Amino acid sequence: MLLELLTKRYPGMRAWLTQRLTGLVMAIYSVLALLRFFILQPESYEAWLSFFQPIWWRIASLLFWLALSLHAWLGIRDVFKDYVPNYGLQMVLQKILLALLWIYLAWAGWLMLA
Amino acid sequence: MKFSIYRFNPDVDKKPYMQDYDVLLEDSDQMLLDALLRIKDLDDSLSLRKSCREGVCGSDSMNINGKNGLACITKLSDLEEPVVLRPMPGLPVIRDLVVDMTQFFENYNSVKPYLVNNDPAPEIERLQSPEDRAKLDGLYECILCGACTTSCPSFWWNPDKFVGPAGLMQAYRFMVDSRDQALDERLENLEEPDRLYRCHNIMNCVEVCPKKLNPNAAIANIKDLKFEQARESKLKDKKKIEIKAI
Repeated sequence: MLLELLTKRYPGMRAWLTQRLTGLVMAIYSVLALLRFFILQPESYEAWLSFFQPIWWRIASLLFWLALSLHAWLGIRDVFKDYVPNYGLQMVLQKILLALLWIYLAWAGWLMLA
Repeated sequence: MKFSIYRFNPDVDKKPYMQDYDVLLEDSDQMLLDALLRIKDLDDSLSLRKSCREGVCGSDSMNINGKNGLACITKLSDLEEPVVLRPMPGLPVIRDLVVDMTQFFENYNSVKPYLVNNDPAPEIERLQSPEDRAKLDGLYECILCGACTTSCPSFWWNPDKFVGPAGLMQAYRFMVDSRDQALDERLENLEEPDRLYRCHNIMNCVEVCPKKLNPNAAIANIKDLKFEQARESKLKDKKKIEIKAI
């Protein structure tokens, strides 16, 4: 049913639900990250590298970035809709935001999977 | 008692200004509306709307010391001086405290705030069980004063798109009415991204409602109905597939 609500048939619900689901993904990742941080206590560069060594953690981190990007896209797009009444400028800002988010996401992907 | 009141007469004034009043009230003047009428006796150029003077018609809604409310049920003893009165925010000012509520009512009308029932009208009224009737409590009492909608930043920024708390609460009021037959259409009517989902739950609407209603809960309930609708439409699709297979 959740997948149904994420289809084009429900454009309003799709954006709203995506923001909630990505928020949930980020919350779960944050708790896990804090737990791992307190257990492993990476105090050196090597320890920090090994913190990100397990492939499952890299995938989880990438998932987090994906969720963050989607969440930020929907949230900041809303802020632009509210505070930038000029439609042309709004579109330009949206495109800049989209480009930035893609760059960050690609960067995160490169860091996690390279 | 001291008042500072927003004044603007588009025929005369280039821009709005605040005018101070110091009025001597009588013991019988208990509510803000009493004081406003006292001021109007002194200065009849002051414009405001009023009608029932008991919180039923919703005409005298205004911004009172920064918070929307009805002048007729706001106690003078609860107000800090000088009492700052402005028109409700987010709507064009016609004059002084009178705003143009066209957009508000357009949004309200857009949710079809009436029963849709295609069955032939019965000889007597369309009956409801006490349980079904109880579902309308906390919804039907809305007096459309506009205090909630004009407190909502989502409405300020997108008045032509976001329906606003008052309109959405009335949309829900008809969605849960057991006599109504247009639930799917009503939900689809709100599916456009900005009509319902611009609500960010900041609860200004709940805080200001002079009738102590909760438009925010109604908005959340509409989203729940959306979930149910999706579940049911999936079941229907499944049935269609099963029938085809047979």
